[in-house]
Amino acid sequence: MPSPFHSASFEQLALPLLPSLYSHAFWLSRNHADAEDLVQEAISKALRAFDSFQSGTNFKAWIFRILRNTFLTSRTGIAASRTVFLEDRSDLPDTIDANPTPEEHLIRLDNQAAINRALDDLHPDLREVLLLCDVEELKYKDIALVLDVPIGTVMSRISRARRTLHQQLKLQLGESL
Amino acid sequence: MTQPQVNGHLRQDQISAFIDGELSHSEATEIQQHLADCHSCALRVLSATQLKTATARAAQRFSAPPEALARLTAQLRPQEPKKTARIYSFRSVAWAAMAAALVLAASLIGWRQTRQANTLSAELLDHHLATLSSGASPEVISTDRHTVKPWFQGKLPFSFNLPDALPADTTLKGGDLAYLNGQPAALLLFTIHKHEVSVFLTQRSASPMVTVLPGTQSGFAIRHATTHELRIIAVSDVNPADLEVLVSALVEAQTPR
Repeated sequence: MPSPFHSASFEQLALPLLPSLYSHAFWLSRNHADAEDLVQEAISKALRAFDSFQSGTNFKAWIFRILRNTFLTSRTGIAASRTVFLEDRSDLPDTIDANPTPEEHLIRLDNQAAINRALDDLHPDLREVLLLCDVEELKYKDIALVLDVPIGTVMSRISRARRTLHQQLKLQLGESL
Repeated sequence: MTQPQVNGHLRQDQISAFIDGELSHSEATEIQQHLADCHSCALRVLSATQLKTATARAAQRFSAPPEALARLTAQLRPQEPKKTARIYSFRSVAWAAMAAALVLAASLIGWRQTRQANTLSAELLDHHLATLSSGASPEVISTDRHTVKPWFQGKLPFSFNLPDALPADTTLKGGDLAYLNGQPAALLLFTIHKHEVSVFLTQRSASPMVTVLPGTQSGFAIRHATTHELRIIAVSDVNPADLEVLVSALVEAQTPR
C-alpha cells in the first residue's frame, strides 16, 4: 500500500488539479456524471501507479494522460473512438491566401455564443488538443505526452483546430463583420 | 521553422507556435521583425491571440459542481475515516471482492516497482483490478448466457459464443465492454470457487499481440488461447488449472458445430 508520505505528496500534487481534471473530463465525456466517474477512476489509477511517476517531470501531463486513457477505456470513449480523425497528414497544404486582406483575418470575437457553438462543433480530437493548449496551458511536448503522438502532430492539430474555428466563426458571423 | 512561406507570409503553425510561446528567443525575434513590417501577418497574430483567449473562456463554461469537487477531494484524502454504514450492507461476495481487491492493490503496486515493461499484462491487471475494486456492477448483470451474449451485439466488431455448460462451480456473472491493447474487447466476468475471473475476448485479426504473456503475474494466473477468429485471455487469482478449464470451454464453444 502507498506510504502516508507517498499519499501526502500525491495529494499535494493532485488536489490543485481537480477542477481542471473535471472540466477536461467533461469535455471528453460531455456528461457530468461520467466526468466525475472518470476523474475518480483516474485518481485511483494514478495513486496506484504513483511509483512510476518520475519526479521532475510534469505531473499535470502525467495525470492528464491517465485521465485520457481512462476515458478511452470507458463506454463513451470506446464509442467515440469509432469516429476516426483522418487529417493528421503532413502533406496537407497550409491554407494561406496569396494576398490576404484584413477582412479575411479579423473576426468578431464578442459573440461568445458563436464561439461556444464553434468549439462544440469542433472534431473531438481537435478540440482536445486545443483545450490542452489554450485552457490547460500545457507545452507542446507535454501535450504530445498526454496524447501519445509526436510533437509534429500536436502542432498540426493545433493549427488545424484554430483554422477550423476561425472558418466556422467566419461562416457564422461573416455577414456581421 | 521560422522560414516564411514562399509568398512571404507566416505559416499558420508558425503563428500558433509564436502565440503559444513555443519558439526559441531567436525564432521569436525573427517573427517579431517580420510582424513589424507585415501588416497582414500582424493582424493574423492579433486575431489568433484573441481566438486563443476566447477559446479558453468558452471552454471554462463547464466547471465542476461544488459537491462533485468535495467528493473528489475526499477521495484524495484516504486518511479520513470512511463511511462504514454502506459497507455493512454488502453481501458476502462483495466483502470477498473487496478483500481480494486490497490484496491485489498491494501486490499490483509491488509488482509495478519491479516489473519488466509489459504493457499488456499491466492493462489486463488494471482491468481486472478495476472490476474488483470499484464495487461497480458490470454493464450487463446476468448469469444467463442468452442475456449476456446478445448484449454485445452491435457493440463490438465481432461475435462469440458462450459454452452451453460451464465447468463445475463456475458461474457467469455478467459482461462489459473494455479496451485492450488498443482494440475493443468483450469483458466477461465469471467466478470459479468464489474467485473473480475476468475474460477478455478480442478480434484476432485486428492487431496482432506480439507480447508473450507470462503465465502468472503477482499471484494472478493469466491464461491465453486463440481460436480462428478470437483471442481469449483470462485473468484471475484462482488455481491456474481451473482457469485453464474455463478457457478451454470457451475455446471449445467457438468451434462450429
